[in-house]
Amino acid sequence: MADLTLFSFQAGTTVLHHLDVRAKTVLVCMLSMALFTAGFSACLVCFLVVYPLMCAIGMPMDRLIIRLKGFILLLVLMAATRAVTVPGEPILSVSGIEITRQGLAQGSLVGVRFFLVMVIGLLFAATTRPAALKSAAQWFLAPVPFVPEKRAAIMISLCLKFFPLILSRAGQTADAVNARCGSFKKNPVRQIRFLTLPLLKKTVISADHLCLAMDARCYTEHRTDPAFESSGRERLFLGAGTGLCTAMVILSRESFWMIFW
Amino acid sequence: MTQTDSLRPMVHAALFVALICVGAFIAIPIGPVPIVLQNMFVLLAGLILGPAWGTACVAVYLLIGLAGLPVFAGGTSGIGKIFGPTGGYLLGYLPAVLVTGAISRFLGQTPFRDILAMIGGSIMLYGVGVPWLKLAFSLSWGQALALGLIPFLLGDAVKIAGAVVMARKIRPLLKE
Repeated sequence: MADLTLFSFQAGTTVLHHLDVRAKTVLVCMLSMALFTAGFSACLVCFLVVYPLMCAIGMPMDRLIIRLKGFILLLVLMAATRAVTVPGEPILSVSGIEITRQGLAQGSLVGVRFFLVMVIGLLFAATTRPAALKSAAQWFLAPVPFVPEKRAAIMISLCLKFFPLILSRAGQTADAVNARCGSFKKNPVRQIRFLTLPLLKKTVISADHLCLAMDARCYTEHRTDPAFESSGRERLFLGAGTGLCTAMVILSRESFWMIFW
Repeated sequence: MTQTDSLRPMVHAALFVALICVGAFIAIPIGPVPIVLQNMFVLLAGLILGPAWGTACVAVYLLIGLAGLPVFAGGTSGIGKIFGPTGGYLLGYLPAVLVTGAISRFLGQTPFRDILAMIGGSIMLYGVGVPWLKLAFSLSWGQALALGLIPFLLGDAVKIAGAVVMARKIRPLLKE
């Protein structure tokens, strides 16, 4: 659970912190699309661009790998599953289970893509204030007909507030269960039940308290529209991002490599 | 109706968005489509919030993920996920929560009817997800069902049982 706090805002003064949230959102969407079809070389190019940014926000790769070990294990398992399920040329056979060359390549590629998407998402989350994200959602949704953009934006904002609250309540509930020797119970269903039901109850009660607090402060949807902060480098970043995505798409095309053969 | 009464559905919907996000992090990879707890919270949102707020809740969840926050299964995000093999499951959450909520409202709220509602929601979820997976990987129907439906049936039965228990505990709190 502690790993999830990685995905929350971390104060800083880097260029990414000062970049307009709308530009950051567009960049994340573009990179996510480019990674969808990316090959190994395109992923490497993306990594070489993203890595200095990770270091700049104080998250070098070694620290990131330690903190994301749970997710990385998940990706390794995902790659391993593909290595044994995708048919192709077998390279190793253990107890009748064949690991294929094609499966290994496909699994590794999917794992690398997921890891990069996760790192880009982490960069976005770590350098964007929840209030700025709410403002961006409202700005992007404003032209969409039949969508109450202000309500959707406040829901996003509330969700981002609830996220750490749920994690904190989960920790408290686990401590309370352990204090009552709940961790010694052998039945896993009972263990899960003793953790999840009080947790849900507590979070629902917290939500009700939040309603009262909002009411007490005369909450209304008709609030002052957000003002966006700009660093003046948005065009530069969007241009560079477009260049990077174009390069990734070109590198991912098999025909590109045929030129050099 | 007081201001608090009108705020409560929105705040509860936001709470369920957060629960779906947390559920997405608990993913077990068993192939191209991982087992995730977010399905359970999506169906639970339909039961608790009803069709309208349930759909709004899932729409906001998808919006957050599309915007770049790592809230999809396994901490991923972005528009690329929608076009990927699991994109159908993500889009399928919308009809799933709508159908679960509508059946629950129409039939009433007993454990048996909750189970029926969630089965209806799950059918909608796989009705969008499996054909999408088939198209994404160019699979036969048999392969698509073997990869995208059959491995999840047992887990889904457990999730539905869990969601029924949770719904029974949460509903009285919301009615207070």
